[in-house]
Amino acid sequence: MSTSAAMRTAITGVAWAVAGPDFDPATALAGRGMRHKDRSSRFAVRVAHRALEDAGLLGAPELDGAAVVVSSNFGNLDPVCDSVSTIAAGCSRDVSPMRVPHLSSAVSAAWVAIEHGIHGPNLTLCNGTSSGLDAVAAARNLIAAGRATAALVIGVEPDTPSVARLHKETAGTRWIDGAVGLVIEPVQHAVSRGARIRAEIAGYGKAADERSAVQAAGGTAVRRRLDGEPTARFGRCSGALGVVQCAMAVERLGNEAVLAVAGGGSGESDGTSVAALVLTPPRGRDI
Amino acid sequence: MSWEIVGMSAVCALGDTVTGIHRALCSGQSGLAPLSRFDASKYRAAAAYEVPDRVRPGVDEPLRATRWLVRVVREALTDAGLPEPEPGLPVLVGTTHREMRTAELWWQHDGRLSPADLHFTSALHSAFGLHNVHTITSACAASLYGLGMATDLIDLGEADTVVVAGTDSITESSFGGFDRIQFPPPDTIRAFDRSRRGMIMGEGAVAVVLRRAGTHPGRIHGRVRGVSMNCDASHPTAPDPAGIARAIEEAHDRASVAPDDIDLVIVHGSGTHQSDLAEAVALKEAFKATDPGPLVTGIKGGMGHISGGAGLLNLVVALEAIRSRTLPPVSDLTDPIEEVGELRIVSGQSATGPFATAQVHAVGMGGINAVAIVEGAAR
Repeated sequence: MSTSAAMRTAITGVAWAVAGPDFDPATALAGRGMRHKDRSSRFAVRVAHRALEDAGLLGAPELDGAAVVVSSNFGNLDPVCDSVSTIAAGCSRDVSPMRVPHLSSAVSAAWVAIEHGIHGPNLTLCNGTSSGLDAVAAARNLIAAGRATAALVIGVEPDTPSVARLHKETAGTRWIDGAVGLVIEPVQHAVSRGARIRAEIAGYGKAADERSAVQAAGGTAVRRRLDGEPTARFGRCSGALGVVQCAMAVERLGNEAVLAVAGGGSGESDGTSVAALVLTPPRGRDI
Repeated sequence: MSWEIVGMSAVCALGDTVTGIHRALCSGQSGLAPLSRFDASKYRAAAAYEVPDRVRPGVDEPLRATRWLVRVVREALTDAGLPEPEPGLPVLVGTTHREMRTAELWWQHDGRLSPADLHFTSALHSAFGLHNVHTITSACAASLYGLGMATDLIDLGEADTVVVAGTDSITESSFGGFDRIQFPPPDTIRAFDRSRRGMIMGEGAVAVVLRRAGTHPGRIHGRVRGVSMNCDASHPTAPDPAGIARAIEEAHDRASVAPDDIDLVIVHGSGTHQSDLAEAVALKEAFKATDPGPLVTGIKGGMGHISGGAGLLNLVVALEAIRSRTLPPVSDLTDPIEEVGELRIVSGQSATGPFATAQVHAVGMGGINAVAIVEGAAR
């Protein structure tokens, strides 16, 4: 599948909330409104605020018609597993009512929408390792189809006991604990509000093999390429992978296009499908 | 703008064909049965709408949601006359629980789990060679979200044909979670009834094949006129009537229809106190200027709440109601809430047509809403 260039879209905000030297979850995920949220939602809410701030859209009126698109494979695994352990040890009455919303994969996206009054489409994708790039493409489609004024795309994977067990059983040694966020909007809108365009989304493709995906994205001639670097830095990124790739690409984008590949042979893969996305440097105000 | 539905299939506690499920609904059948899978001593509720297909009754099996998905996709493609699809055919799967039941069996009972089991790409690749699969988990609005995204893919020129599906099997975590918050437990689903006590989980899968209008040479089941997708952004669990009302209004706009054009509505109707109330208030607002207004029904009393596929199941039942000119009633509705007083709720027995245009709802936890407008095959 390749995305038509019906409307030019750009990344105008980038934010990180990943456990590491710059982000201590023990303190950064505490505070007002956090107590009854699961780990995935806490990361998502933190990174959403930072991404909107970076894009200059915190509290902006256009958020009313914006979309939230979350990509995560393991976001709700812990609430689910923890609840069955609770029931096994006792009975359903022992499950906390505050846990119930977190049994849904969609809860992190819903919390973000509530926090910022985002009434447009609220989408969560759980597509495996290609999911993050698929989410960026889905956000672009929601904008192109006139369903959203802008989109907040979040890749989130929390490190929890069940996630750790699953990774260890499948030969994983390190995995990400956190969220990465992007703000995507029409180039024209970004220009008219004087926003800083960090990159344009030029093409997207999804296929069973890497070569076809890259071709569908129009990325065959792109020399700068990003696939395994997020995994080398953070360990397995899973549903966050494509969003991490875009954030890293934006930070290093010079005057050359960058091709991101998620789910491919040389990078992190769950062996199912490969997504490719081409990001190009801002073209200036030539629209 | 419209998109044609050229193939469809469904499976749930009430049956394994769209016509069979519709017929069972019209004759007032219910798929509710004593809980067979979980240790009943741990729950206050004693029944669920399970698909009775386990090899050994009472012994759970992994990957049932995946199995049903593969089945309904195969049947819908065959129904469409497309048994060997192009490998790039997009498949948009709406699901609330993915394979979380398989994850539970892994976590609690030493079953097997691979990360790729948690989405549906590998199963659909093995079965049909398809790779362009998206696992959409926008709660119980997920399959209508998939439908909306499918119409966009066709509009944007990315595809001419898209499969939209929904699938879910009952998880112990959600069954237990709802058991915790619904007390006394509901004995059945009584949408819009004063005595309603809540939602009962069901399970199953549904699929449709959607094509760009005018490209399908064979028979069609109906047309999608427009789909809205939005979010209340107000509360993590309680639905907001304003959000549902906005979704209805946007669906009418996208479909270029007026409220008077809608002949029938199949609501989300989960039977919970707040959700039914929010939907009733939104419907009253949306149809206040109509006379006599659409017939309104809900079908979850028949097959329970099948979660991610619920909205798409409403859609295929609506198309079958249009074709057969028979709209099933809301089951177990004897004492309607005041808020539906001005609505033409179908209760007691089926209503008969002719019907042309239907509106179907999906209201998901987290305030995630989707509304689709469809019309029958005959113009």
